[in-house]
Amino acid sequence: MAHSGTEVSVSEDRNKYIYGVVAAAAAPPSTPGIGGAAVETIVSEGTAAIVSDVPTGELQVGREALMSHAQVLEDALRGGAVLPMRFGVVLPDADSVKQHLLDRHHDALLAQLAELESKVELHLRAVFDEATLMGEVVREYPQIRELRDALRGQDPDATYYERIRLGELVAEAVERKCLAEGNAILLVLEPLALAVQAGTLDNERVALNASFLVEREDMPAFDEAVDKVGRAREGRMRLKYTGPLPAHSFVELSVEE
Amino acid sequence: MAATTMQRYNNGSVSRSGSSGLAEVLDLILDKGLVIDVFVRVSLVGIELLTIDARIVIASVDTYLRFAEAVNRLDLTEQGGETLPDLMQDMTQGGAKSKTVGVLEGAKEKLFGDDDDDGSSSSSRRSSSRSSGGQSRAKASTRGR
Repeated sequence: MAHSGTEVSVSEDRNKYIYGVVAAAAAPPSTPGIGGAAVETIVSEGTAAIVSDVPTGELQVGREALMSHAQVLEDALRGGAVLPMRFGVVLPDADSVKQHLLDRHHDALLAQLAELESKVELHLRAVFDEATLMGEVVREYPQIRELRDALRGQDPDATYYERIRLGELVAEAVERKCLAEGNAILLVLEPLALAVQAGTLDNERVALNASFLVEREDMPAFDEAVDKVGRAREGRMRLKYTGPLPAHSFVELSVEE
Repeated sequence: MAATTMQRYNNGSVSRSGSSGLAEVLDLILDKGLVIDVFVRVSLVGIELLTIDARIVIASVDTYLRFAEAVNRLDLTEQGGETLPDLMQDMTQGGAKSKTVGVLEGAKEKLFGDDDDDGSSSSSRRSSSRSSGGQSRAKASTRGR
């Protein structure tokens, strides 16, 4: 271990791809890793890194590797708390995994494993149905309705800028409606979660894109609440509910210690 | 294990699904989770396209025109019917879909398959499928630019 500071040399012909960190006593997942490689654990003083071998050098990976990462973690989660790594973390060998991850961050890892024991992440994405959204916007905003009616039958080229103005008004209304709807959903679900991480609304019809940290034993209640949220918006919004997942959105390591 | 439950969209009741095949999970593992300050990062095929902030699209003229078309179309659908010249124009001019959205859609589809079926990508997909039917197309209100 001739590593000094933060320099890592890539010398072996196999590197270690890291999926996440579990308690040392946890059994390694049996799900195959990236490229079909066997998944193993590297243990050091109470913590263990879930890893598999990958070839050295720049790896070109796509959808399959992403799914492997997710599935190994999902498998591991069945055995207890998992601290997921972000996709794409590779270290040269078992020694450097111990040194740079397990030993260096030993206390933080142990603390988070204890903290997240019996907790899972649930993700919810709520998206407006387009026709419904447009209908509501037209009904609720007289200014939009009037402009739209005024433009009807006009030469589209001659009214180009008016149409842009109309679309701009619609975009503003859409944003307001999404925010309002997202907040309404949060109001229902937030009391049932230990923590919430609201992600970016990456599309104009997305009202909510949020991760919730939930006690395993509270999952049935949370499911029921999500179901209720969905039923109340039947036909208006589409909900995508995903989990239980390792707590991707609720883990953290300080990179500078 | 693969997802054993799939979402049910139509009956309004929501069920939880596992991680397999879901764009949401892939977004999470790309953006969230532990990182350490020393590591060799693998390179991703095509994934940089996903990090394009799709919010940029909302401020574009393309989006405004698409919204204008959407509210227009809505009304025409409610009133029912289009004139023959309208229909012919529909068929010859096809969908006025945004090129930007199309590019994003292609990248996401390549990576995620068809499971990411919401958002602007699907609206462009739908508008292109509509252009053959003509029934619910708007007049040529947003074309010609």
